[in-house]
Amino acid sequence: MSDFDPAGADNEADTTATGRRADATATDGGTDTTTAEPAGGAAGAQADSQTPSGQEREPATASSGDYPVASRDGDDESESSEERSSETTVRSVTTRQTNRWVGVAGLSFLTGGLGVATSTRPLLLAAVVGVTYLAYANVSSAPSPSLSVTRQVSDSMPEPGDDVTVTVTVTNAGEQSIPDLRVVEQVPDALSVVEGPARAATALRPGATMTFSYTVTARRGEFDLDGLTAIVRNASGSEEREYDVRTEPTTLTCVPPVDATDAVPLHALTSPYTGRVATDTTGSGVEFASVREYQHGDPLSRLDWNRYARDGSLATMEFREERMATVVLLVDLRPAAYVQSGEDGPSAVERSIDATHRVFNSLLDTGDRVGIAALSEADIWLPPGSGPTHRAEARHLLATHPALSATPPAERVYVRPALRLLAGRLPDDAQIVFCSPMADSAAAYVARRLHVRGHPVTIVSPDPTRRDTVGRTLASVERSNRLSDLRASGLRVIDWTGEESLFEALERARRRWSA
Amino acid sequence: MTGYELVRRPSRQSVAIAAAAGSFVVVASIPGGPTPTLLALAGVVALLAGVWRGRHDVVDGGALVAFAGVVAAALSGAGAMPVVFGSVAAVVAWDSGSNSISLSEQVGRGADTGRVEVLHALVGGAVGLVGGGLAFVLFQVGPTRQPVTTLFVLLLAAAVLVVALNR
Repeated sequence: MSDFDPAGADNEADTTATGRRADATATDGGTDTTTAEPAGGAAGAQADSQTPSGQEREPATASSGDYPVASRDGDDESESSEERSSETTVRSVTTRQTNRWVGVAGLSFLTGGLGVATSTRPLLLAAVVGVTYLAYANVSSAPSPSLSVTRQVSDSMPEPGDDVTVTVTVTNAGEQSIPDLRVVEQVPDALSVVEGPARAATALRPGATMTFSYTVTARRGEFDLDGLTAIVRNASGSEEREYDVRTEPTTLTCVPPVDATDAVPLHALTSPYTGRVATDTTGSGVEFASVREYQHGDPLSRLDWNRYARDGSLATMEFREERMATVVLLVDLRPAAYVQSGEDGPSAVERSIDATHRVFNSLLDTGDRVGIAALSEADIWLPPGSGPTHRAEARHLLATHPALSATPPAERVYVRPALRLLAGRLPDDAQIVFCSPMADSAAAYVARRLHVRGHPVTIVSPDPTRRDTVGRTLASVERSNRLSDLRASGLRVIDWTGEESLFEALERARRRWSA
Repeated sequence: MTGYELVRRPSRQSVAIAAAAGSFVVVASIPGGPTPTLLALAGVVALLAGVWRGRHDVVDGGALVAFAGVVAAALSGAGAMPVVFGSVAAVVAWDSGSNSISLSEQVGRGADTGRVEVLHALVGGAVGLVGGGLAFVLFQVGPTRQPVTTLFVLLLAAAVLVVALNR
């Protein structure tokens, strides 16, 4: 009997583990731990009858609504009609003796002894009952189940904040019945369960099915629902086995809608292409700049005809040229940027990414060329570009790249190599919009370095600080000093507090700069 | 962050199952007179409180007191039938109570655990009744009247055999 269906061939790195067995040998002692070992060399096609692997590549049927909510049945006929069993792999097995019957054993001997001492035959009979239970606890061991697990999500492409109902179906695919099965879904950390425990307990006869469902609130990102902890016990509960099961993943992709903000104020460094940033260069445009003497070849439409009518001399009007800017949005994803104000609410990184997303879309709307880079462990680089394909690429990148997740990275990010790499990639005419909470001096260093390299930097800084304790006030003051220093060095800083929208922050900044 | 909060205490249903088993303990100790009955009652109440609060130690203690009621009934001259029955009921009450606590610790209160809990209690009860019934029949129709010491030693041997066979 193979425990849990063999690993599917499409599980990367698990291809050799087909037919992996979860053999846990229960030996003496209070708690023994045995880890499942892959059975060597079982490379051939898995001969598991109920796993037609071509058929269930669509675990996430994304239709909404009509799922049974928390219906639980152990014993009806619906199980055989479902062909879509999933492939599961056991990652680890732990076998434990619960030792819960030890007290009963001791008590029964005490009772028997008392019966002997007082010559009370009924007490001796009570001791027989105790010994019976001792036998009951000892003769059976926890079953090694073969489970197949399928998940259905009400919406596999939700928008952030949407509630998604996940329905989990667990089928006992083995020959043994499971008297006590407890399953705990391994919901990704970033998703919060809002309804129903993502857990269930039941007893399953061979072929029987259990269904339970729970609701999570979607957040930006791509999540694989592929883990399940199954705890099986024997009928007496004297032994328990905990399986860490990897099932076929059901993916939840949550991409924020295309949200733009108002036009982002940019520095005057531009590319040679026509765009919307008014420059000091004169030529054709909308905004009047100056009048100069006519030169041969000037277009007739720009001749100052009023002047010609007045004194007969030819003059050409000059307008401020509007050019396209090349902007690279730089997101701060260093562990130091994972700060948030208070216990709940979005982290500064989450706000930075949101800002990046909005600024990206609005810049693209205004015809600028926009790229994305990040200070992170993983290499994130989307070269500046434009057009709908570019927009879709960026949207997908910002939503689903694992390095842009809501949980801080494990390793520290080294700023200097990251800067060197970035400097090599940046086009000469690129300016930077740096989204960072500016929670440490390294962020300020990055901004300055880029600025002095000739890439004008605009900092969009979500403010994560609070002033309710002395320490927090200190951090807040430090941060605002840092921002002031940067402003003094000629960088533009948009301080985006938690209460206002990005639009308001940009508007406030624009008023200051145009004044 | 608002979210679903896992309550790690057994549900009302779990308490009801333990209460059903516990009531048999009380009934079985009635033949022993008022003191054993009160003892059993106190034990069952403590056990139920333990189940409700999700406390293993209180459940264990309550079950011990309830069983002490049964023992007291036996010592005050209750027959073999109520004593066997009361012991089985005490074990089932304790077993279902502590099982529901472990369930609630692992899957929480919100999950529907009624099915597995009832099954657990029924199987436990059946095992006890079969074992106790067998012992009772042997006790009644047994050809020889062995001294109790012999019986006790036999019992001990059986227990050791059971444990040894499983290792």
